[in-house]
Amino acid sequence: MSIELKMAWRNIWRNPRRTLLTIAAIAFASMILVFMLSFQLGCYETMINTSVKISTGHLQVQAKGYLDDKKIRLVIKDPDQVAKVLDTVKGIDAYTFRASGFSLVSSNKRTYGVVVIGIDPIKEARVSTIKSLIRKGNYLKKDDEYTALIGEHLSNNLKVDINDELIILGQGRDGSIAAAVLTIKGIFDSGIDEFDRNVIMMGLKGFQETFSMGKSVHETIITADSLGDVARVKQEIKACFANAREDGYLAVPDWMEIMPGLLQGIQMDLVSGIIMYIILIIVVAFSIFNTFLMAVFERTREFGVMMAIGTSPLRMTKLVMFESICMTTVGIVLGIIVGSLVTLYFQNKGIYIAGTEDILKQYGIPDRLYPRLSLISASAGPLIVFMITFVSSVFPVLKLRKLKPVEAMTKG
Amino acid sequence: MRRTMLIVVILFFAVSSQVLAQMNAETIVKNAFDYWRGEASVSTSIMTIHRSDWERSMTIKTWTRGESDSLFVITKPAKDRGNGTLKTGNGMWMYNPKVNRVIKLPPSMMSQGWQGSDFSNNDLAKSDSLIKDYVHTLEGTKADQGKNIYLIKSMPKPDAPVIWGMIKLSIREDNILLSEAFFDEDFKAVKIMTAWDIRKTSDKLFPMKWKMQKSDAIDEYTQFVYEKIDFIKSLRKTIFTRANLKNSGL
Amino acid sequence: MYAVLAWRNIWRNPRRTIVILLAVIIGVWSMIFLGALMRGMETEMVRNSISTLTGSIQIHHKGYRNDPVVENSMEDTDKLDKALNTTLGQGALWAKRVRVNAIASNARHSGGVTLVGIEPEKEAYISFVGKAMISGRYLTSEDKNKIVVGRAFLKKFNTKIGNKLILMSQDTQKEIVSRAFRIVGIFSAESESVEKQFVFVPLSQAMGMLKMRKSISEVSILLPELDISGKEEALAAKRLTAAIADDTYRVETWQQLLPMMKAYLEMSGFFLYIWYFVVFVAMGFGIVNTTLMAIFERMREFGLMKALGMRPFQIIKGVVTETFFLLVLGILTGNILGFLSVAAIAKNGIDLSVLAAGVEMWGIPRKLYPEIWVQDIAVAGLVVLILGLLVSLYPAFKAARFTPIQAMRKY
Repeated sequence: MSIELKMAWRNIWRNPRRTLLTIAAIAFASMILVFMLSFQLGCYETMINTSVKISTGHLQVQAKGYLDDKKIRLVIKDPDQVAKVLDTVKGIDAYTFRASGFSLVSSNKRTYGVVVIGIDPIKEARVSTIKSLIRKGNYLKKDDEYTALIGEHLSNNLKVDINDELIILGQGRDGSIAAAVLTIKGIFDSGIDEFDRNVIMMGLKGFQETFSMGKSVHETIITADSLGDVARVKQEIKACFANAREDGYLAVPDWMEIMPGLLQGIQMDLVSGIIMYIILIIVVAFSIFNTFLMAVFERTREFGVMMAIGTSPLRMTKLVMFESICMTTVGIVLGIIVGSLVTLYFQNKGIYIAGTEDILKQYGIPDRLYPRLSLISASAGPLIVFMITFVSSVFPVLKLRKLKPVEAMTKG
Repeated sequence: MRRTMLIVVILFFAVSSQVLAQMNAETIVKNAFDYWRGEASVSTSIMTIHRSDWERSMTIKTWTRGESDSLFVITKPAKDRGNGTLKTGNGMWMYNPKVNRVIKLPPSMMSQGWQGSDFSNNDLAKSDSLIKDYVHTLEGTKADQGKNIYLIKSMPKPDAPVIWGMIKLSIREDNILLSEAFFDEDFKAVKIMTAWDIRKTSDKLFPMKWKMQKSDAIDEYTQFVYEKIDFIKSLRKTIFTRANLKNSGL
Repeated sequence: MYAVLAWRNIWRNPRRTIVILLAVIIGVWSMIFLGALMRGMETEMVRNSISTLTGSIQIHHKGYRNDPVVENSMEDTDKLDKALNTTLGQGALWAKRVRVNAIASNARHSGGVTLVGIEPEKEAYISFVGKAMISGRYLTSEDKNKIVVGRAFLKKFNTKIGNKLILMSQDTQKEIVSRAFRIVGIFSAESESVEKQFVFVPLSQAMGMLKMRKSISEVSILLPELDISGKEEALAAKRLTAAIADDTYRVETWQQLLPMMKAYLEMSGFFLYIWYFVVFVAMGFGIVNTTLMAIFERMREFGLMKALGMRPFQIIKGVVTETFFLLVLGILTGNILGFLSVAAIAKNGIDLSVLAAGVEMWGIPRKLYPEIWVQDIAVAGLVVLILGLLVSLYPAFKAARFTPIQAMRKY
């Protein structure tokens, strides 16, 4: 076995320039794939994480049916119980509670319909990015009950500013009138117009009092340590709830169920990316096909001699295959190493693409994009390169098997 | 000649009985409506909202005047005391003592239940809609406890801005409204209001218990029980103003 | 002379030439094809948005976009008409609209919608509504109290054609007004949210209901040609603004109305050209390798030519010309294949409705029609040709350096 390998290795270096160019081509393809795949996956991860951090979290705990129809009566009756469960589950980075209801908000000049969300200021800052999106004024403090954060568009439409008063009027959990006066403490700008125009945040305790919620809430927002942990965390929480009968009415939707459009958009992008990569690999394969062809035809005489002295066609086939495999492997390894290094460099520094600030801002993505090296991104591309190059090296080998020794030797 | 006259007479009666039926139905409804509203009234009632998993009661003082002015103020429980709703003409305002503001109800609130009940804000705002927006026909009568009850079908006028496809009323011959059933455009029942427990109050008989019941959920209803209702000749116009809504003397 | 020789030379080893040719062809084909798909998607996205009420250009009261209420209406429609008639050229079409938020209710449902009062005949030419009816009929300007709603709306409200819909909103006097409309037609749109959100009534009805007299919320204009760079529209908008000469009115192009779209388009173009470069490099390795192999095979020939007195420069020229032919052939064939494959799909387009939710969220069209842009073909061709020639210089120089002695020594 190893003699074919040794010979293969020596053979490919008989023509160093050609071998180097071939290896370079394979390395290039691998490197590009590693980098681009890491970039794509990194972008997705950034997009998902950013989107979930604005409001939905990686997963949530809610009453069953709340996801489809946000009725104020569909509450989580005992958030403390839920907290106890969540504290035992590993992989959760942070969680917070929210309650919300549709209300009228009225300033001196205007009245609008909005969603009022009661948040726990301390816990919320760990879960969502809202604190960092405050453009004017301040974020809420722990004991703030009747101060509010509103979006920039809403503050413009209502013609109000910091310290102005807003009246909210809605319907409480028990149907009674929910009314309160809120003082504006901060104005935020999330970049998402819908959000900035329709949302008011106030202290959770204040909300619960105004809307007759008692101690109940509507949503538990959970961020996991990383995107990969979401599935497992979800399972664990569900299992804990299944055990405690009182919690059987709770559902645990994840971000994919809450924002199906995001997932599908990513899937579509991934598919189109894969198509492009495959085309790239095919171009490379054809590019280097000649090398493999040459490797066989140039040495027809040599093979003829080998056959004449008794080498079996099988062994020769093995030899040529090993030559291809050697070149390919060196190329791939080189590509993975260089690609990983480049990726890691940008993973640190981030890539800034001129002109994309607006579109990224709309999705709340920071203006630098970060590729993410992972096992998949480092190996998937090169693996496909390996397979396709392998296939393309098979063709010349097939010709080899048809050689007749005498013909071959006289070809020269 | 005599035959022709006979035919003419018969036709005349046939046509006019149709018209009479309609006219009669309209008169019946108008009378019942006027009877219900009186010229003016002051009342205290307890409204109970019942759902499958909870129940809420509140005591309400109500002033009505003519066909369209109404003022409702909650007196109990203490948490909701002073909350009021004023309806005049086409507008509806709400007052909440906690925020000390009178707010005009915008369109987005109109289809919501008043105070969470099965009576929508629109139901209250358009309380005179039954007279204005419908064409009534007498479908039949039935007898109950020695009294005649008229069964009336009310169809919305073609351009009337009402969401119902049909309303069916049953009105006693002494002008007491016994039930009002609301149907959608496919004539499926959506909710039904019934009145019973007829007693003498002031100088006339009046049902003291009213219930608005959703047709597809048996344990979801709102019930009104009048503790006291006085029909009087007139009430000052100033009662039905925003200023009064705010300082309803409570 | 060079040309003939060069051409014959590349065909001396047909198999080798064909293999590298295939690499170039596939590379160029992919540039053209993928480029066409992407451009098609972009154009479709813009067309979609424009047709879903945005139009090429819109005119509003300057406060309307931030606060789309009845108060922010345009009163002087005569001035607008005059400006529109004088500045817009042939083929430009426009229509007036009233657009406000309203609540729609029937016996069992209630929800917020955007009420759009339209001039039915004119509107049919400038947006999707006129041709989007899937059931019932479209509106006519004589219609009284008739309304047209989206298919998803019909489902949500559990209603049907012929049924009533009560619309409630606030008029210019800040009073609540409501009116009953009868559903006469159902439209379908690219996305369900459009179907759920917009309801259409005749302009006069909306004006009457909201007591607007002659004021309108917006004018939407459709220019005959879509300029995806937005420049044509910007020019027209400028002329209009000058003609109206009233700074309470604002004229905006689709690029200003849809800044996200603009940003997305720019980003896509950028990425496409990066892709071209990457594909070229992949090809480039093969070109160099193949050409190297070829000249080494012909070392004796080059040595001989040198011995006969050929200048190095001429040898370089020869090799480069060979590569030139190779590239041109590959580019031409790649282009032809590109056109053919685009033509094959262009008829029916690619159906993306499988990814419905993604379509909703990202505004991607349900059907994809590829579109070839001349600038893409030019860039692709130039990139491959120029860079290809550049990389062929390496083997060319090598060839020029063969001395007669080396050549003869080889054999």
